[in-house]
Amino acid sequence: MKYIGKKVITLIMTLFLVSVAAFIAFQVIPGDVVTSILGTEATPEREAQLREELGLDRPAPERYLNWVSGVLSGDLGVSYRYSKSMNEMMPVAELIADKLPVTLYLAAYSLILIIVISIPLGVFWARCKNPAPNVLLNILSQGAMAVPSFFLGILITYLFGIVFHCFTPGGYVSYRDDLSGFFGYLLFPAISIAIPKIAMTARFLRNSMLLELSSDYVRTARSKGCTNRRVMYRHVLRNAFMPVITFLGMIIAETIAGSIVIEQVFGLPGVGRLLISSISTRDFPVVEILVLYITAVVIVVYCLVDILYRMIDPRISDK
Amino acid sequence: MKLKNCMKKTNQRKKRNWYLTAGLFMTGLILFLAILGVFWTPYDTTAMSAGEKFAAPSFRHLFGTDNFGRDIFSRVMQGIGTTAFISSLVVLCAGGAGICIGAVTGYFGGFLDEAIMRITDAVNGFPSILLTLVIVSVLGGGIRNLILSLSIVFMPSFIRIVRSEFIKFRDADYIVRARLMGTGTVRILFIHILPNIFSTFLVSVTIGLNNAILAESGMSYLGIGVQPPTASLGKMLSDAQGYLTSAPWYALAPGLTIVWIVLGFSLLSEGIRSRAQ
Amino acid sequence: MVRIENLSVAFDGTEVVKNVSFQIADGEILGVVGESGSGKSVTALTLMGLLSDAAELTGGQIRYDDTVLAEAGKKRDRELLRSFLGSKMSMVFQEPMTSLNPTVKVGKQAEEMLRLHTTLPPKERMTRVLEMFALVGLQDAQKVYGSYPHQLSGGMRQRVMIAMAVILRPGLLIADEPTTALDVTVQNQIIALLKEISIKQKNAMLFITHDLNLAKRLCHRIVVMKDGRVVEQGETEQIFQCPKEEYTKKLIWSVPSRVKKKETAVFSEAKRQQDGETGQEAPVLEVRHLDVFYREGSNSLFSGHKKRCVVEDASFEIKKGEVLGLVGESGCGKSSLSKAILGMNKEVKGEILHRTERPQMIFQDPYSSLNPSKTIGWLLQEPLRAAGRLDKKVQMSAEDRRAAAYEMLKKIGLKESYFDRKPAELSGGQRQRVSIGQALITHPGFLIADEPVSALDVTIQAQIMELLQSLQEEMKLSCLFISHDINVIYRMSDRVLVMKEGRIIESGGTEEVFRQPKEAYTKLLLECG
Repeated sequence: MKYIGKKVITLIMTLFLVSVAAFIAFQVIPGDVVTSILGTEATPEREAQLREELGLDRPAPERYLNWVSGVLSGDLGVSYRYSKSMNEMMPVAELIADKLPVTLYLAAYSLILIIVISIPLGVFWARCKNPAPNVLLNILSQGAMAVPSFFLGILITYLFGIVFHCFTPGGYVSYRDDLSGFFGYLLFPAISIAIPKIAMTARFLRNSMLLELSSDYVRTARSKGCTNRRVMYRHVLRNAFMPVITFLGMIIAETIAGSIVIEQVFGLPGVGRLLISSISTRDFPVVEILVLYITAVVIVVYCLVDILYRMIDPRISDK
Repeated sequence: MKLKNCMKKTNQRKKRNWYLTAGLFMTGLILFLAILGVFWTPYDTTAMSAGEKFAAPSFRHLFGTDNFGRDIFSRVMQGIGTTAFISSLVVLCAGGAGICIGAVTGYFGGFLDEAIMRITDAVNGFPSILLTLVIVSVLGGGIRNLILSLSIVFMPSFIRIVRSEFIKFRDADYIVRARLMGTGTVRILFIHILPNIFSTFLVSVTIGLNNAILAESGMSYLGIGVQPPTASLGKMLSDAQGYLTSAPWYALAPGLTIVWIVLGFSLLSEGIRSRAQ
Repeated sequence: MVRIENLSVAFDGTEVVKNVSFQIADGEILGVVGESGSGKSVTALTLMGLLSDAAELTGGQIRYDDTVLAEAGKKRDRELLRSFLGSKMSMVFQEPMTSLNPTVKVGKQAEEMLRLHTTLPPKERMTRVLEMFALVGLQDAQKVYGSYPHQLSGGMRQRVMIAMAVILRPGLLIADEPTTALDVTVQNQIIALLKEISIKQKNAMLFITHDLNLAKRLCHRIVVMKDGRVVEQGETEQIFQCPKEEYTKKLIWSVPSRVKKKETAVFSEAKRQQDGETGQEAPVLEVRHLDVFYREGSNSLFSGHKKRCVVEDASFEIKKGEVLGLVGESGCGKSSLSKAILGMNKEVKGEILHRTERPQMIFQDPYSSLNPSKTIGWLLQEPLRAAGRLDKKVQMSAEDRRAAAYEMLKKIGLKESYFDRKPAELSGGQRQRVSIGQALITHPGFLIADEPVSALDVTIQAQIMELLQSLQEEMKLSCLFISHDINVIYRMSDRVLVMKEGRIIESGGTEEVFRQPKEAYTKLLLECG
């Protein structure tokens, strides 16, 4: 329990540091945004007015505090690029609200695929002694890891969308309109994210199991008369799974990041697409919030993984 | 029975070399095309020809032509060059800095090491795409900034690998003895320890090249990396996506090229690793 | 009861066990003795059917009572074998650290034996395990039952292993170097326990060891193995008193024992006086009231440093040309002491006074004491290069260095052709020779040898000790010789320090300490060794 408390404190400290870093990166370094919003031909009065509106005339620490308290109370600032109407600026919160679920669903969907497929596959692979399936799995996994996810997305679009007509490329269905249609469409992007990660995870699990299989306690278990099955599932799997937990933490982070690219490929209106378009248009308030959100998710995931690891491995929880 | 065992042994040896051979062949071919592409391509990469739009692959146009009637093979060659240039510079910067920083922090340890480790841990745990996006968005696009940001993103993994190797050897008996002999620190770092981490470092270089290639093409695909008119594999893919129905080869050519390169380097690293053991 | 007939085992076509035959009678303790690579473990693992698929039975058969467990050319009956494992024969392994599953409670691991071979209900299984734990001398069996392996000491883990192995009262217990990884005093307890159990449960035992002394104490009969063959077998008495084979004699002769006096030491003492060197000259090393500390906890920014005292109030001196033996069990602080003397640990209090420049050190592990990326010649020259850089006066030309390296190669008993080889091509003993050569090529006045022969086979051990001794005398070298093996210390040193839990508890001339030990702990060490 004490450990979890410690972990939470570290978590909060890390989030604070990240927010400072994000603030510096997007509000201090890029320089004056006012000219970039209004263009070079605006009057000095208009510039000064906008500067005041955005709070840019204040010193940096004060701006940081304003920004953070805003973020914590749900006021995420306003976009430089999008606007609601002629004279009303677009709040970032509204911009993100309906895009966030798309990305989260996609990441969760792919993650489930990864875990459900890669773990049995890895165990099967470690147990498999015949050279033929071994070589086949080896080649397949090498291949799968070499395909960049965006190309995989294009291949899947071509194969399942155009050749087999399993879905309509670009025909995104909103989760508000038709949930099953939404998940049906999401399956293909999820597969595109999952395939390379499945290959990596299965490979990692297999190597970890093979390593454990060569350890002394396995010999002891055999000397007791354990069947191969029992050795595998009762002795090896648990130990082999320890490093896989950490690895999965990394995979989760990569999956969230991977959805940024895949959204682009499949035309999904998620935060990833928003992020890319905001970066292209240098819409920093939006980028800043998105980066903060994604980072927070990644940090929390790592923290949870650490806690989980500690709960499972008796060697660590003891110290 | 003995004969069978001998056969098994030679088979194993062959299999071990197979990775290296395949990897060397694949990466060698790519390197050749990249260098050749600088001096000569079958067609001018920017020459458009309205009459030859979307020509299917043939002997005239090995990979077909694109929506402007440009020869895809020539553009792929040039794209490989761009990718090779960017990713090797990235690995050179990140790897060079990684060796220096990793060697010093790993060997001496202490507060500096602790601080640098915290930073590299944070950067390393972070999805590389996101980090690159952030840096590129702050610094702005273009090849120079792409190289810079990818170098920053990849440096921590090199530092970590070099550092952990130096920690491993720092307390090795023969290094302790070298210290007792009165060998200077620089000599210990670079003459005594460095040759021992060579193969590990080589493996991490090939992996780093792979990641750099993937990151570069990903960035270019998203439109934040290499800007037109320079040909790049990622950009070609994103252009081709709109014509999947009519000209699937337009997407397949650059995509499969990326797969080929990445696979080549993975096999190479696997080969080096098993050779080192 | 168990008969092994003409057994041959091959790995990838190379035979590692050749035509081995022996039998084990009911209740008998049979010792299999041999150096590393003699095939003794492979024989035992073949008996248990625990070898990997790469191993192949190329000849002979194994019978247990009337059942054929394995036969060349036939596929092993896994089901049959499994019914034998644990219930009719079981095994205790060398590494107590890694032989137990790290993430399963040890009680559960022992209980698994019952779960696999009996139909007892869970409650009864647990009581049986607890009984067995108590029987093997584990105090507070209940607590041990719920512990994970890392929470137990090496000796306790080995007791758990033994409890697990004998809980079903198997007819045969195979013990593969069960005490090698343990300290001598613990070693003794485990040996006594094994003996006690085999008498109580009337089981036969196959005791595999490299240590002739152990075999002599425990076994009824002994099989001597070398390079996969049985060299000699017979009653223990007979083997030790009138060994027939040359190799057996060599093996027995190589074991450092206290019967043989260290004549050379006396000789050198006499010679020293002849040379007119009075013992009066200042000692090479003086250590006064030295405390050595060890920083606990990780080097983390957040957790404060705690210092733990690992050596307390050590005082001693080493005279010129003298070998001072330092003996103690693992964790007694002997390595920390040597590190402090060499200035590698700065966390010290007290006085260390060197009168020689650049003391050198030899380590235990021959596989990590030589830089694998260099050639032997380069390695031998490196100390000269380093010395030359530090002091222009001793700088040598490249030719002189080469010549010196060749000369050293000869001195350490290696052929000239080794000059261009890399350490990977050398055996453990040869590497240790190069280590010695590297340490001594600059003619240092003082050398610390930290368990230099502990990782070597007995015959090699004897050779290395001989080499070290002759070079030490030739160079009038002062030496701090550290070992856990009291017999090795006896053979090598002029004076002895006994260390326990960070303190030097006894010191004196070798003969004096060995004949009339004052401390109880020294006596215990002498009894066990």
